[in-house]
Amino acid sequence: MEMAGEVPTRPGAPGDAVSGLIPDLVVTPGSAQEVSAVLRASSQRGWSVVVRGGGTKLTWGAPPRHCEIVLETGRLDQLVEHEPGDLICVAGAGMTLGRLQSLVAGAAGYRQRLMLDPPQGDGATLGGLVATRAAGPLRARYGTMRDQLLGAQFVLADGTIARTGGKVVKNVAGYDIDKLLVGSLGTLAVLVEVAVRLHPVADSSRTVLLEPLSPSEAGSFCAALRRAPAVPSLVEVLWPERAVLVRIESSPEGAERQAERVVALHPRARVLDEPEARLWEQRVEGRPWGGSGPVVGISVPLSAISALLELAEREAASGALLELSVRGTIGVGEARLVADPQAVSRTREGVEKLGGQMELHRSGAEVGRLGSASQDPVARRLMKAVKTALDPGDILAPGRWDWEA
Amino acid sequence: MVAMALAEAPRLGLNADVLAQLRTIVGSDWVLTRPDELRTYECDGLTGWRAVPLAVVLPSTTSEVAAVVRVCHRQGIPFVARGSGTGLSGGALPLTDGIVIGLSRMRSVLRVDLENERVVVQPGVTNLEVTRVVEASGYFYAPDPSSQRVCSIGGNVAENSGGAHCLKYGFTTNHVLAATFVTTDGEVAQLGSSALDSPGYDLLGVVIGSEGTLGIVTEVTVRIVPQPERVQTLLAAFPSTDAAGRAVAAIIAAGIVPAAMEMMDRATIEAVEIAMHAGYPDCGAALLVELDGPAPECESLFTRVDALCRDAGASEVRVAQDEAERARLWKGRRGAFSAMGRVSPDYYVQDGVVPRSRLAEVLAKIRGLEERHSLRVANVFHAGDGNLHPLILYDRRAPDGPARAKALAEDILGLCLDAGGSLTGEHGVGRDKVCQMPRLFSAADQEVMHRVRAAFDPSGLANPGKLLPTPRLCGEHPGIYRPHPLERSGAAERL
Ligand SMILES: Cc1cc2nc3c(=O)[nH]c(=O)nc-3n(C[C@H](O)[C@H](O)[C@H](O)COP(=O)(O)OP(=O)(O)OC[C@H]3O[C@@H](n4cnc5c(N)ncnc54)[C@H](O)[C@@H]3O)c2cc1C
Repeated sequence: MEMAGEVPTRPGAPGDAVSGLIPDLVVTPGSAQEVSAVLRASSQRGWSVVVRGGGTKLTWGAPPRHCEIVLETGRLDQLVEHEPGDLICVAGAGMTLGRLQSLVAGAAGYRQRLMLDPPQGDGATLGGLVATRAAGPLRARYGTMRDQLLGAQFVLADGTIARTGGKVVKNVAGYDIDKLLVGSLGTLAVLVEVAVRLHPVADSSRTVLLEPLSPSEAGSFCAALRRAPAVPSLVEVLWPERAVLVRIESSPEGAERQAERVVALHPRARVLDEPEARLWEQRVEGRPWGGSGPVVGISVPLSAISALLELAEREAASGALLELSVRGTIGVGEARLVADPQAVSRTREGVEKLGGQMELHRSGAEVGRLGSASQDPVARRLMKAVKTALDPGDILAPGRWDWEA
Repeated sequence: MVAMALAEAPRLGLNADVLAQLRTIVGSDWVLTRPDELRTYECDGLTGWRAVPLAVVLPSTTSEVAAVVRVCHRQGIPFVARGSGTGLSGGALPLTDGIVIGLSRMRSVLRVDLENERVVVQPGVTNLEVTRVVEASGYFYAPDPSSQRVCSIGGNVAENSGGAHCLKYGFTTNHVLAATFVTTDGEVAQLGSSALDSPGYDLLGVVIGSEGTLGIVTEVTVRIVPQPERVQTLLAAFPSTDAAGRAVAAIIAAGIVPAAMEMMDRATIEAVEIAMHAGYPDCGAALLVELDGPAPECESLFTRVDALCRDAGASEVRVAQDEAERARLWKGRRGAFSAMGRVSPDYYVQDGVVPRSRLAEVLAKIRGLEERHSLRVANVFHAGDGNLHPLILYDRRAPDGPARAKALAEDILGLCLDAGGSLTGEHGVGRDKVCQMPRLFSAADQEVMHRVRAAFDPSGLANPGKLLPTPRLCGEHPGIYRPHPLERSGAAERL
């Protein structure tokens, strides 16, 4: 196989495999034009293309059906603009989150960052974070990439190079194509450049721990927290630890007094000293992504948090659930299960009964497709129409969506 | 904005069979065809553009909306959804060869779920109504366009509306979680879910802000938020917009995110004094800053904002001591648009966006344009997110009045775009700015939007001629009479 132009190319190796598929070629374009050349050539020949950023979340979604080309974004990593006074940053889609955070932290006279703390975040790229909508505990306050993305440059399967949005925090000109790209798992376009909003970093923080808790205690604590006069940046319910961790970030006085208010909500809640707080935060960071086994994303109504924890207890008792962490004030989290397709589908049924939704984040060949029976058929038809409109040859990660099956 | 010369060909009218179908669906009282009835719907908040539709249909349920759309789909009749008609970009401007589907009868609050912080409403419910039903329980609906007493949630979704408090809380798109959506062939889809994540593409994300061009929203699930414990408001008087702009930059740079940060220039302050005696200080620019949140945080930040304003040259800082004083400080800001009616026969609201760090520079350039065009511009705007609202004061009866206002408005947009900003921050593209789109988006960018549009609406019947430019809309001039496609198919005839 031969790729047009000067784009660096090498043959695929076992280490490049995506869900067991070894690509014929790995290409590393360094500009929008080069991405365009790669996609045009692939479209003409009907080669399937899977985009790889940091390679930290290639297992998200269902396994692709084909993968002739792995398109690596590592060379698309330039800082285009950081305007600290506007709290915005524009960078290549291949830049890692770790590098972006250290670049923006370096602006003299400012303290700001991109408020995203996804799993394996340092090595994850901006483009990958758009494509997966991966988020971590900070989501409780700041939302996901959906809330931070201001605009993007991207390339369609036919090589069309286009932009959406801009670099200002408020903008309603034209369709919000950004939203389609967020969570699209590399199936609609290849991201080349992204513009994100940044947030100021608070001067001070306090961490409160509450443990051990029954499912219903944890549920009512989260509900009380939601109405309390405190704005935590993180509220993690950890199972099987049966703990809730709350972090307040504010001015020194603001953090101190808000932490007191959180502690007042429950007789066993206590403010952690620095080393202990750090220990718990490290614990939170990796979860539930350490080890192996499928990881599912779960989203339930707030009132269902205690019921979700009861479900977790049952699954844990039967040995199927390894770890669960839920953002307690918004009802969103992840769970790691044993690599047992039955445990996965049982959990999904349970979550749907609670009025929630479940997505497969780390599948592994053992689980394969999850299927989304619950999805609205008309919505699914529109999703397919959007996919066909932007990628008519279905060359971008074909099969990533289990509803395609 | 500018009075449009509609080609005065004989008016089309829907044929009796199509009218009968529509009447069967919604009941004959709710299909309007009399010219005097139709005229009520001939424009939205942008009154310079007017067009009389073939009919106005007022359904009361999702299935009625779907059935009406199916008739349109079968007959090839374009349709324009309409909420309260307060839009400022001509988004709800009717088509002379189409019908208006008005959602104003669909105004029930369907569900209030405090425990899960969700409210489900029909699209005709006003923005303020959502807050009204939950405020006694300690919640509010955050997006707060100044038109919130009147504008509908459906219109807010279609425009992705913002408001003064969106600086901290985000826009409509950050607060709408699910919607019932009638597709352009009259099917009904559930988009999103009341849980935060749902699998698949974020169709709802692209429907929000699509100005009625992808389909019709008939039920909306919104997120409500707990009321802040403390709200603190100040009004700082500056000698110039330059100085006030420096204060804005300093506050943002200090890492403070106010709930709202609004600026008014001298021309605006003078107008609100004449119109409503708001009691604002006599100054070159006033900055209204509101902080909210837990009391300890709010109080410490408020002291810093006060100091930053004085450092930037504020001659006076008024702090609201109670709710009544707060309402007074906001009064002039809230009434600013209507106050312009007292100082100028006509005005046009521009809605450009600039990076916040370049506010002062762009405002200075706008003053230069005022002189060049010999027209006055009053500035009142959402300073915290760089969303300008220059009000161009003109007289439509003066020679070239509207044309000069339009030229100035377009020059101001040019300044915003040159500074790296946007065509519109919250009022939308609509009909008004559709031919400006190429100034911001390349042909390829627009092509992507056209493809998405076609995926939702292959026959192009949902609000055509808005948001996305076409050669016919922006290039070609009206030519000789040709039979309308609806005439050829028999769905309509000349009256
Ligand atoms: C005095 C004044 C102040 C304003 N202040 C603000 C402000 O602060 N912030 C702001 O963002 N805007 C503001 N606006 C603009 C306007 O109020 C908003 O755009 C509002 O969201 C329009 O709502 P509406 O119900 O009046 O919609 P309409 O004007 O009726 O329609 C607007 C658009 O939405 C579409 N639409 C309406 N309903 C539906 C539906 N159910 N499904 C699909 N499409 C639909 C229409 O086709 C049209 O394209 C202001 C307007 C006025 C007159």
